[in-house]
Amino acid sequence: MIDIKDVSKWYGSFQVLTDCSTHVSKGEVVVVCGPSGSGKSTLIKCVNGLEPFQKGTITVNGTSVGDPKTDLPKLRSHVGMVFQHFELFPHMSITENLTIAQVKVLGRSKDEAADKGLKLLDRVGLKAHAHKFPGQLSGGQQQRVAIARALAMDPICMLFDEPTSALDPEMINEVLDVMVELAREGMTMMVVTHEMGFARKVANRVIFMDRGAIVEDARKDDFFGSPRSERAQAFLSKILQH
Amino acid sequence: MNYHWNWGIFLQQVQAGEETYLDWMISGLGWTVAVAMSAWVIALVLGSIVGTLRTSPRRILSAPANVWVELFRNIPILVQLFLWFFVVPELLPRDLSMWVKQDMPAKEFFTAAIGLGLFTSARIAEQVRAGIQSLPRGQMNAGLAMGFTLTQTYRYVLLPMAFRIIIPPLTSEFMNTFKNSAVAFAIGVLELTFQAKQMQEDAGLEFEPMIVVTVLYLVCAFAVNRVMAVIEKRTRVPGYIAGAK
Amino acid sequence: MFGSFDFSVIPASLPFIWEGFLFSGTLTLVAMLGGVVLGTLLALARLNGGPALAAVATTYVNAMRSIPLLMVILWFFLVIPFITGTPMGAERSAFITFTLFEAAYYSEIMRAGIQSVSRGQVNAGYALGMSYWQTMGHVVLPQAFRNMLPVLLTQTIILFQDTSLVYIIGAKDLLKAAEITGKNYNRPVEMYVFAAIIYFVICFSLSFLVKRLQKRISIVR
Repeated sequence: MIDIKDVSKWYGSFQVLTDCSTHVSKGEVVVVCGPSGSGKSTLIKCVNGLEPFQKGTITVNGTSVGDPKTDLPKLRSHVGMVFQHFELFPHMSITENLTIAQVKVLGRSKDEAADKGLKLLDRVGLKAHAHKFPGQLSGGQQQRVAIARALAMDPICMLFDEPTSALDPEMINEVLDVMVELAREGMTMMVVTHEMGFARKVANRVIFMDRGAIVEDARKDDFFGSPRSERAQAFLSKILQH
Repeated sequence: MNYHWNWGIFLQQVQAGEETYLDWMISGLGWTVAVAMSAWVIALVLGSIVGTLRTSPRRILSAPANVWVELFRNIPILVQLFLWFFVVPELLPRDLSMWVKQDMPAKEFFTAAIGLGLFTSARIAEQVRAGIQSLPRGQMNAGLAMGFTLTQTYRYVLLPMAFRIIIPPLTSEFMNTFKNSAVAFAIGVLELTFQAKQMQEDAGLEFEPMIVVTVLYLVCAFAVNRVMAVIEKRTRVPGYIAGAK
Repeated sequence: MFGSFDFSVIPASLPFIWEGFLFSGTLTLVAMLGGVVLGTLLALARLNGGPALAAVATTYVNAMRSIPLLMVILWFFLVIPFITGTPMGAERSAFITFTLFEAAYYSEIMRAGIQSVSRGQVNAGYALGMSYWQTMGHVVLPQAFRNMLPVLLTQTIILFQDTSLVYIIGAKDLLKAAEITGKNYNRPVEMYVFAAIIYFVICFSLSFLVKRLQKRISIVR
């Protein structure tokens, strides 16, 4: 589904990604972890073209992301993304947040879109808040709405950029629960996160990045059981302290 | 474009005198600089006082300052100049009034300088107020805790930093003063805009005077910018986030 | 001091003053609407337009902000008839001049407003498959306007004051009406004072309303 080959990226003369190669198959859940500055957020933003890259190729369901002829908005309408800071549109109600892209990008009718939005809202447990505004919801609630907003587009895969990093500890689980359910239903997911509990539960593979390069790319059990690289070992030992 | 350029016109003599049009331009520049600089000095002095007074917790000090700012901010500069030129002389006691209307030397210049100065002082007052209010509360407390009176605290602690902070908006305001000086044409000051119109009529040419006057205004704006940049550099506080570069 | 004043001229002058005020008011509204639209486009050109377009927009904005408005008024009054080939009245020329002039100032405000909307919002719009114009139109600009509304309105109050400068091309605005009436009735002092009072009352009330608006917006946040 997602194919990343030899991708390198520079900001001016500073190299942020070095020869990254990996893939995510249909139905797979891949967790990307690593210290800050390792380039994991940058990599995942390259997948749907939010960040440009200078070398290598990325293909999503057969479409090349780096090709200048690719219709990026069309590609993005089939790839869902959830952001660290939720990024709900504050000037729109929850319902409007859910329907605006369905109507303006996919061309669905307002009623169709509202129906779908409400169903998804129910699925994440927030049906009662349909008429509220993002500022009136807690962080965990906003993030669940953000997931529903992405799902409303019927995506073929979902990208998560540190979805729980900006949440207070007591709200992390309500979001992770939604993500676990999504994974169990067979959604193809690429998740940048520090939450190793989540990785252990539903990930198929774990990728470890450090200083712009993919250092380790192993099946979940291999990664947690016997990580091959020193840096991954060091990282895991620090993270798994709590 | 069917226009016949005649740049030599500037070396030509004017219709009714011995000077050249170039002399008119230079004289215009001189009056523009005179009005703008005089107004700026007046505005800086008065504006700093009024702006500081606006931050005072005592109503008896801040209220008149508020009135000052609202009065000079809500009337267009051209209308203010007309008030100074036509109305104020009528309000003076008879002898003074007669002197101003008939015998006062360079009355257009003084009227323009005072009018523009007071108009600009209200804007500077607002910037000084904003600068003072952007300082951390602790600064005032630290000054008072050392035994400074309120006045001393303003003088030694608050104002020196406040003025450094507001150098960028003050630069804008300084440039605005030069631009606003153009309004003085309406009461007969022989500054650049006046000269542009006068030369257009006298020489029968439209574009050449406009271009030269526009360029001269741009030169003034550039000069002001450079001067303020030098001042900013000289007064910079090392390590202070807002100013350090 | 006030003995020789005769304020009875004021009621007599009202019809003329009203017409002049209508012109000033209409000019302000037209220049505000046109200026904000054009200013927003200029801001977008500077932020997202690519190097060539951004350079053109920046030069335009800087030029308008460096020259006295009086000179800009004279320039347009001179140049527009040259371009169109037909003579143009002072009033008509003023509409074009003020819209184009104020656009430079509104563009600076909108530029700050657009930059105040976080990059994440733009990313979220794109991630949903929206195009650049869809993201700007539905996500960024509504927020930018809301953020900058008090500043935009304050600029409009300044614009209203600036309209008095059409004096230099003889357009019949509020100030000119006051001046003409003053000359006709030989009561210039009373008329200038009256004009000043009108400007003051309007500008003071509007800035008071803007301050109230500012308080309401910051509570909602």
